[in-house]
Amino acid sequence: MADSGNPDSEPTTRTLLRRVLDTADPRTPRRPRNARAGGFWVPGPEGKGLQAKISDESSTLHPLVPPPCIIQSCWSLHSAQRALLETPSSRRLSSQTKMTARRRSQRTKSIGKLAHVQASGHLEEQTPRTLLKNILLTAPESSIVMPESVVKPVPAPQVVQPPRRESSRGRYTVNSLPGLGCWPALVREPLGDPKSQNWASWPLHPCSLELQLPELEPPTTLAPGLLAPGKRKQRLRLSVFQQAMDQELPLSQEPHGNADASSLTSSLNLTFATPLQPQSVQRPGLARRPPTHRAVDVGAFLQDLRDTSLALAPPDTVLEDTQPFSQPLVGQSPSVHHSLPCPSHSGAEDAERAVSHRTRSSGPRLQNNSPGKPAQLLAGRAEEVDALAMSFSHSSSSIFGEVAVEPLQDGVGEEAEERMEESLSMSKVKEAARAQGSARAEEPEGHTQVTEAEGSQGAIETKEPEGSSGDVDTSGRTVSPELAASTLEFLQAKQLQCLEPAPPPSTAVLPLEPLSARLPPRARTPGPKPRQGPYKTRLSHYAKLFSFYAKMPMERKALEMVEKCLDKYFQHLCDDLEVFAAHAGRKTVRPEDLELLMRRQGLVTDQLSLHVLVERHLPLEYRQLLIPCAFSGNSVFPAQ
Amino acid sequence: MAVSTTVSQRKHIKRKAPRGFLKRVFKRQKPHLRLETSGDLLMHLNCLLFVQRLAEESRTNACENKCGVIKREHVLAAAKRQRLLLTGISM
Repeated sequence: MADSGNPDSEPTTRTLLRRVLDTADPRTPRRPRNARAGGFWVPGPEGKGLQAKISDESSTLHPLVPPPCIIQSCWSLHSAQRALLETPSSRRLSSQTKMTARRRSQRTKSIGKLAHVQASGHLEEQTPRTLLKNILLTAPESSIVMPESVVKPVPAPQVVQPPRRESSRGRYTVNSLPGLGCWPALVREPLGDPKSQNWASWPLHPCSLELQLPELEPPTTLAPGLLAPGKRKQRLRLSVFQQAMDQELPLSQEPHGNADASSLTSSLNLTFATPLQPQSVQRPGLARRPPTHRAVDVGAFLQDLRDTSLALAPPDTVLEDTQPFSQPLVGQSPSVHHSLPCPSHSGAEDAERAVSHRTRSSGPRLQNNSPGKPAQLLAGRAEEVDALAMSFSHSSSSIFGEVAVEPLQDGVGEEAEERMEESLSMSKVKEAARAQGSARAEEPEGHTQVTEAEGSQGAIETKEPEGSSGDVDTSGRTVSPELAASTLEFLQAKQLQCLEPAPPPSTAVLPLEPLSARLPPRARTPGPKPRQGPYKTRLSHYAKLFSFYAKMPMERKALEMVEKCLDKYFQHLCDDLEVFAAHAGRKTVRPEDLELLMRRQGLVTDQLSLHVLVERHLPLEYRQLLIPCAFSGNSVFPAQ
Repeated sequence: MAVSTTVSQRKHIKRKAPRGFLKRVFKRQKPHLRLETSGDLLMHLNCLLFVQRLAEESRTNACENKCGVIKREHVLAAAKRQRLLLTGISM
């Protein structure tokens, strides 16, 4: 009890204490706190023993000893309560114990106590308990409100987590308050504000104080008997208080408080369990957010694909059925953007370059494929695929490679590689592809397949066997799921399929190339959902942060521009990290690389270390993961 | 005892880092590279700081033009300056 203060005559406090004492009586297990009590404490009948002690103490008028005894008795009384109590501060307990002890003492001897208190005037210096004790002793009798009932509610709230203001507010406040503190505050009426303010310094929520009132009310009514005649007046006041509380209760924001009050009233006994209501129940706001689902994006994406594909007139309907949807789109996108046969070559080259390890004959084959449409389609597909299944990139490309039967696949694999690398461009390509809307029947199917594959990552494996069948259609199908994984694949497959059942993949590469080249000038195709679905959500996550940091209203276009910048930023970031890791002869990017990057950016300086930035901007949980900290047992986490 | 690497279920981290997204982006860009566990957290930190600087710059630009709303030109100008100032290797 910080304030301690003044026990000056706070009748309320005393009453509260009395209540605590009274209520605590039945529970006192007698704990051997004799150490403190020394000779003063004699474990006798629970309630009685303490009282006896107290009386003894009071009689002895030992300034220092009695208080500890009282405290101990109180402690023992509340030992059980303590276990339940979550109150972080032991003061509460002590306060309670003090209160109980005091009550006893008061019961047994009021005069003695007073004298005792005076004798131990310096008790206050010792501990809050002593202060409480003094309060009890010094406080006029009239202040006592209710003996036991009061005690009960007090402990109950103590049990409640102090920080939880919700339901346990009423209790909680009591808990948080060292018992006495809250009471005086609660019993405002009789005590008058100044007194309550003394206790107001205690860590209580103002509303909690109010909430406590209801708690107090029941106890007062419950244990009227304990009150001395003079205390009746207090009781009356309490009743008035209760009424006031009732009025206040509705005002209180915490609905829980009401619940608490009601619960308090209903149960005299300490209900440690009650106050501990599941936070989630009390605070729905704290419930975790349900994970966002991306299924909608896929569906929308499919729709978009369908629309675009349907718009186009698929020349190779047969093949297209099996071919991934990306193809028709691919063909379209290139045509839309460049409509140049040459781009396909360049695109193929780019694709090959980009996909060094994936580059296979499929590359050239892709090129062989009709450059225009397939490329466009593939490009478009690539975009879509990209968005659909980013994670598929590697697997899909590898899968494609395996399916040598279908050059498309290889080409697609390359494309996939390309696409993987150019995530941004992919989206653009897709858009282009969509715009072109190659009317490949397969596209829609492919899309569906792709989307389905997306949904199930395991689809890649299934696709592979399909591809291996060597059937164009199958390959197309396999490709489609794989394409979903990587746009490149789609592009290639599309191209291949578009051209002929077994068109040279090289051609496909060509069309793919242009697509990739066209990626940057992203066409506003309706649907690059797969790519943008999950990707956009996250980008918009950062865009929202932007608007938060800017503290100014922003235009939609500005937000889109921010997203574009972020895209580019991520690209640059990855490139830089790659360079740093390569410089260190590693293939894994480590946090040291990140630190070097930030140093280069000027965020980390000699004056400002990375740890400081981590502490400032990241939540605590991440800080634990990033900054090594020593723990007991000579262990450091995270391990260095 | 080391602190667990996972956050207990009851903890609700505000402003979580989209770790999956960052990892995925990195994988897409550099499939041949691997990213360490804490790397994406630092990446997130980097992104936050980048966005912060960008926002600050855009806000300055908008205020200079006496606009109450941030327009895309402001953002664009801010981004250009960022690119110029940043001494990244690839930039």
